Amino acid sequence: MTRSEKNYSLYVDALPETLTLDVPAGETYRLNIAAFEKLKEKINIVVNVHQDARFLGAFADFTDKPVSFYLTVNLLEDGSECDWHLSCLSKGRGKKYFETSVNHLALHTNALMSNYGIAKDESKMTFTGVSSIEQGAHKAKTRQEAKIIVFDPQADGICSPDLKISDNDVVATHAAVIGRLNQDHLFYLESRGLSEKDAKRLIALGYLKPVEDYFTDKEVIAKMDRVIEEGF
Amino acid sequence: MSSLIIKNLHANVNDVEILKGVNLEVKEGETLCLLGPNGHGKSTLLAVIMGNPHYEVTEGEIYFDGKDVLAMSPDQRSQAGIFLAMQYPAEIPGLNSADFYKAALNSRREKPMTLFQFYSTLQNAYQKMDIPFEMSKRNLNEGFSGGEKKRNEILQMELLQPSIAMLDEIDSGLDVDAMNIVAESIKRAQQRGAGLLVISHYARLLDMIKPTKTAVLINGRIAVEGGPELYEKVDKQGYEWIKAELGINVEKEVDAPMNRVSIGACATRVGIENNDKK
Repeated sequence: MTRSEKNYSLYVDALPETLTLDVPAGETYRLNIAAFEKLKEKINIVVNVHQDARFLGAFADFTDKPVSFYLTVNLLEDGSECDWHLSCLSKGRGKKYFETSVNHLALHTNALMSNYGIAKDESKMTFTGVSSIEQGAHKAKTRQEAKIIVFDPQADGICSPDLKISDNDVVATHAAVIGRLNQDHLFYLESRGLSEKDAKRLIALGYLKPVEDYFTDKEVIAKMDRVIEEGF
Repeated sequence: MSSLIIKNLHANVNDVEILKGVNLEVKEGETLCLLGPNGHGKSTLLAVIMGNPHYEVTEGEIYFDGKDVLAMSPDQRSQAGIFLAMQYPAEIPGLNSADFYKAALNSRREKPMTLFQFYSTLQNAYQKMDIPFEMSKRNLNEGFSGGEKKRNEILQMELLQPSIAMLDEIDSGLDVDAMNIVAESIKRAQQRGAGLLVISHYARLLDMIKPTKTAVLINGRIAVEGGPELYEKVDKQGYEWIKAELGINVEKEVDAPMNRVSIGACATRVGIENNDKK
């Protein structure tokens, strides 16, 4: 089967407050969102995925702006898929809230919701969302990942990925980690000569950069590189 | 002459005393083999020398090249020429190995290496360790097998060329071929005059690298020191004879409290609370 692929690479300036995407049967839609300076305070995205279609979403939020972000992906028909990656850096006193939910409504549906963040300064970050598998959605596979590094003493993070499962022939996993920088990781890097600052920086880059793999626009990737490097 | 001198070293982990007055010296060109039953403080000693913040030094001194090691941060110790190949090297998600090696090499130079210098140094080290160069593009230790991690530690010793290298059970998890490669690398370090402090439970590696001295750490102290004949004796007879000959009662494995870990719990804040208490 050949699939057509549509790319929506958006700087956030072009991102409306509400966005509804319909991914037609058999197609792949890629949504790349990169926010560097501006960000709307409230963003609501709904994606409906039809038969054997794929939604590939990636959001890099490196602004110091507060945001409440809601994503709901409906896997409406058999064989539909969703792959979502968020990489987020909060600074200053910013509050960021991300709710990423997926509804499995048909057979053989597949979803990964992956959210990674670093909370610096006095910022607060929340990752939440429900992966729900409705009755009759046999063979559904779903995973929710939420990981936050609390970088500074005054920063805070909350992770609560939820699973709601109403069918018994499914695979569902979730992972949540909140913590300060891993002391063993820091010591390992420092013991090879890196200063504490450089070691922290490299660990943070390793956390935020992998989202770049999901972006297609080379210029955007280069800008992300710069912003991440400058942030630490 | 570079020498590592440890005087009356006491160290705690979570308020339990593990090291109870260690005295030890490793000079340039010497290879000291550190033996002792499990849980008696061998790894702790090496971690303390490297400056692992998990351990608290309560008494004693460490000098290297006449410098006060305890006053230095781990990166300063590394830059001064101390190296620790860890028993359980950390896996760092998302951190490219080559990027890390570049940062580690440049940390001890005034002027950063040129790209050409760096890549030829790196390639050379991978070749010596017989590791495919593609591995340099992988994330640091992530998904590496036990043996690959150990070889990767020695690769870093090749890169950083320390004046004193401490190897914590570097031979565990290595197959025979890898063991030979690691032994060759250790011999090169010996030839250029580095001091070595090696923990191993097996005579196989020791026979290859020929330690010049042996020390046995029991109950948090050095119970006995000697030449190579001592490790051969321990290899054949274990530690029981120490009780009879030296009148030292070998305590059962010191039961250090483990780090609190929550398994399978989501969105907990155990990590944060623990840190706040410190």
